[in-house]
Amino acid sequence: MQQRRDLSQTHTNRVLLNSQLNTPSWWLPTVILLGIVVIIGWVVIGFILNKGLGVTGLSRPVFWGLMIVTFVFWVGISHAGIMISAILRLTQAEWRRPVTRAAELLTVFSLLTALLFPLIHEGRPWRAYWYAPYDFARGIFPSVRSPLVWDPSAIGTYLTGSTLFLYVALLPDLGNLRDRTTGWQKVFYTMLALGWRGNPRQWKLQTIGGILLSALMLPIFVSVHSIVSWDFAVTTGVEGWHSTIFAPYFVIGAVHSGVSAVVTMMALMRWLWKWGDFIRPEHFDALARLLIVVATGWLGFTFLELIFALYTLEGPELALREMQIFSWPWNVWFIVFLLTGYFIPVPLWLFKKVRNNIAMMFWTSILVNIGMWLERFFIVVPGLARKTPFTFAWESYKPSPIEWFLLGWSVAWVSFLMLLFARFFPLVPLFEQKESQVFTTNVKIGRASVPAIIREQE
Amino acid sequence: MATDRHSHTEVSHEHPSAPSAGEVVEDLVAATGAGVTFRRVAYILGFLAVLGVVGVIGKAVTVGGDTTKWGYVAAVMAFLLTAGGGAPMVAIAPALAKANWVRPASRIAAMFSLIGIVTSLLLIPLLVLLPSLVVEETRRRSVWFEAPVYSPHVWGMMALVGLTVTGLALFYASALPDFAAMRDHSTGWRQRWGEKLSRGWRGTDVQWRSLRMRIGMFGTLYFLLLVFTHFLISTDFAMSMVPGWRDAIFPMYHSVSSLQAGIASVTLALWVARRYGGLERYLHLDQFWALGKLLFAFSLLWFYFFFSAFIVFWYGRANADIAFLDLLIRGPMVYGFATAFVLCFFAPWWLLIWNRLRVSVNGPAAVAVVVLFGLLVDRVRLYVPSWSVPGDRIHDSYLTDIPATIWPDAFDILTIIGAVSAAVLLMLLASRAVPAVSIWEVQQMNLLSRPVQFLRTHGVLVAKPD
Amino acid sequence: MSSKSVLGLFQEPEPAADAMDALAAVGFERGTFDVLTGTPYPEGAFGEHVPQHRLFRFPAFGAIIGFMVALLFTAATQIAYPVVSGGKPILSLFAMLIIMYELTMLSAVIATVVGIIFESRLPNLKPGAYDPRITEGWIGVVISCDDERVRDAELALKSSGALEIKHA
Repeated sequence: MQQRRDLSQTHTNRVLLNSQLNTPSWWLPTVILLGIVVIIGWVVIGFILNKGLGVTGLSRPVFWGLMIVTFVFWVGISHAGIMISAILRLTQAEWRRPVTRAAELLTVFSLLTALLFPLIHEGRPWRAYWYAPYDFARGIFPSVRSPLVWDPSAIGTYLTGSTLFLYVALLPDLGNLRDRTTGWQKVFYTMLALGWRGNPRQWKLQTIGGILLSALMLPIFVSVHSIVSWDFAVTTGVEGWHSTIFAPYFVIGAVHSGVSAVVTMMALMRWLWKWGDFIRPEHFDALARLLIVVATGWLGFTFLELIFALYTLEGPELALREMQIFSWPWNVWFIVFLLTGYFIPVPLWLFKKVRNNIAMMFWTSILVNIGMWLERFFIVVPGLARKTPFTFAWESYKPSPIEWFLLGWSVAWVSFLMLLFARFFPLVPLFEQKESQVFTTNVKIGRASVPAIIREQE
Repeated sequence: MATDRHSHTEVSHEHPSAPSAGEVVEDLVAATGAGVTFRRVAYILGFLAVLGVVGVIGKAVTVGGDTTKWGYVAAVMAFLLTAGGGAPMVAIAPALAKANWVRPASRIAAMFSLIGIVTSLLLIPLLVLLPSLVVEETRRRSVWFEAPVYSPHVWGMMALVGLTVTGLALFYASALPDFAAMRDHSTGWRQRWGEKLSRGWRGTDVQWRSLRMRIGMFGTLYFLLLVFTHFLISTDFAMSMVPGWRDAIFPMYHSVSSLQAGIASVTLALWVARRYGGLERYLHLDQFWALGKLLFAFSLLWFYFFFSAFIVFWYGRANADIAFLDLLIRGPMVYGFATAFVLCFFAPWWLLIWNRLRVSVNGPAAVAVVVLFGLLVDRVRLYVPSWSVPGDRIHDSYLTDIPATIWPDAFDILTIIGAVSAAVLLMLLASRAVPAVSIWEVQQMNLLSRPVQFLRTHGVLVAKPD
Repeated sequence: MSSKSVLGLFQEPEPAADAMDALAAVGFERGTFDVLTGTPYPEGAFGEHVPQHRLFRFPAFGAIIGFMVALLFTAATQIAYPVVSGGKPILSLFAMLIIMYELTMLSAVIATVVGIIFESRLPNLKPGAYDPRITEGWIGVVISCDDERVRDAELALKSSGALEIKHA
């Protein structure tokens, strides 16, 4: 339970709408800088499309490289939103309140980013619409037996669902912005708020609708990364891929990286917008406790994946693992992966001082995502890169500078979108903060003052 | 408990269902008394448990060392591990998450660790029968790559005993204050028993701190051991008995379904305690509703973990993949699989999706029965075909001849009935030795939650100390 | 006879709840007056009419529609273009299930969102009397009534401690 602080609604409005009502001075230069990177990125993507995939490091036998790794990585990050928002909403965890909006937003933007990579990787993105069953004239339809067709259906559902979820939960705050603005902004927010007034019916629907959408989004969230994992797992031809554990392994890995990304973002939000009253050390403490459990679960799945890869004692599988773990340079990266993904951050999080230290949480959460990106690299590339019988080219895959640039660019792109969103919409749900003020109190038990919450009687 | 905000005024009248501290002690200590019906039920269960012993001995005499005929014994051992092993997690996980509803349910949940005694006893004949890792200089596939040949035997037993001991330690540690209550508020053997087991509990601040620490420590250890035990039992006593069956998710499927069965077991036990144990004042809709939600979630997880494995095998179409499907799903146990599928996933999902059923006392309890039976069938459909693979085929790269369906014989049926009866008997006896609803946790719940009036409506104010 | 919207503004919840009682006492039917807040309060906190809704029907309806469309789409496209791949049947139920599941859920989510908006009575093009201070913590009690009863409403609101009265 979080300690209660008395914060008036006027103060909450003033502080949490500071980005919309009084844009901070750092915002414009940052957005311009990121915008330049974003434009360069789009030019590079155009260059790839013009010249073909030959400008990447992809060559026989590795045809799935950094772009697919980055795709899986961003789909993973997208799992933060619904994990935090839906599960914590369903369990009525009080500490969810400042986190939910930013987490949902991260879902939407990271999914948008994830979608870009397979499109570029296709080489001919203008034919992406072939995924849809459009061709009635020629009678050619996509095969639903291909996992590559499952992906767009899953990601499309997740993206649509999370965007709508985000919008519905934004309605009361849009009403608030409408009340605080003038001119074209007022018109803009009035249209988006749909005439929100805040009567009991609207609040009831907001609450029940949030729970219902959470319950619907949770199974979607689980299915998305499972389906991405089946792109690999249903294939028998590549060592290391045909494993039954892939679906939950991908999901828990996604939660690990996604929640860590939320920690990174919350630290930035606290620093940049000076939201110390709302995003407090105890929120980082709660997230770190959650991360300890998730990370340990993830490590268990990693262990199972490895054990059952070796289980059959088949030569190619053993050789692949030997290469991953013991051969230069894979061995160094493998150690980096384990250290950054688990063995540095988790032992640190065991200390309350670290959990409550926002700078430490910021840096450890970044470490996790370095580790989790490497994990995806270890899943996708080595199985393809390894020399196998009847393979006459086994060059090790070296990503080209263009691919590395796109990886960095994707971070800039997501940050750019987040900052743009933050200019027009609040990143912390105001009505949730205010609701917390109404529903929580401190009670005296003996001499102790204990935080308490009012639960409605059913 | 006084609030410091004007808008939350305490309701002047006491909540009708919240008894006073004195009543709580009196009621719950008194509930440990054994009536005539209780004794009769206990005798019947004792008799059935003895029949179970007859079943195992009969099996040993009639089929001896023919491992292919011992599948049902393995299945009931796995079922008890599944249902009894998962139940204490209901006392642990929500308590760590500081859920208020779990307090009256946690004692019964922890009590389930006693079932580990029956599970460990059933494991003994299976340890004798389990083939060594190396037979005729050929090592079968297992998680014990280069380990000594009897590793599964030693570690399987150690894990199970370790799990049981940890569970019992959790049960005992959390019962200390209640033993003290029995010492102070009962007479005869219960009073002497309470005096001995309460180990001088006086309720000092240090003792409470130490109690909380022990519960947290044993709880975490129990969870880790639970997953480890499921990993060993599911791989050594099922997967590695079938050539070519490589299924990385299987240990997790086993563990997750154990949590599902644990929730079902606790729900059912709470219902019995409420209906027949005179505990209506302490076990309310809150507990059943919360457990119903968990049961619903875990029934969906059952399907998720099953399908995650199934789709990979179905797509793989390699010989080993096809053999897996033939043996465990569409082969000798096709009806068993269909039954398990319906009872473990489809029925609980379809029933618990309805608010009217989920938000009730009887609904979740009825679904719990369905789920428990489903999981018994599920363990049968997994373990019986696995054990039915002849010993000389165990080293093949995949299974070429799918064994025929093995139906239970009279000794198998006696063993199943006897083992389940012994487990229930242990629970019943334990409920006479210590209050089935934790006195101190109910007191804590009453201390931390109170009905309040908020303007024109009523609610419950729940305090949550860290 | 025209209808008017009268809004009483309060800074504290207690007098707002009193105003709701006062409006009922002077003969206004519960359901014709409402309370406006900047944050959710426990249901019934102001003694307001507890709103009924049919939100749960929306996802069920959406799911059924989505499932049927998905079944049709996955089956029909495979029959229309029957290319065997990976040795699997043309109508591979387990592969179809995945897409059917996604489309079912998508349809359920869209229907739920439509349901939330519809049941919230949004978009609300004629919102009636309102004040921006409501989203700053003030509480509004709003009533729609005939012209001749405006006076009664104002009196009830004022007697309960309304700091300001607005009309629309």
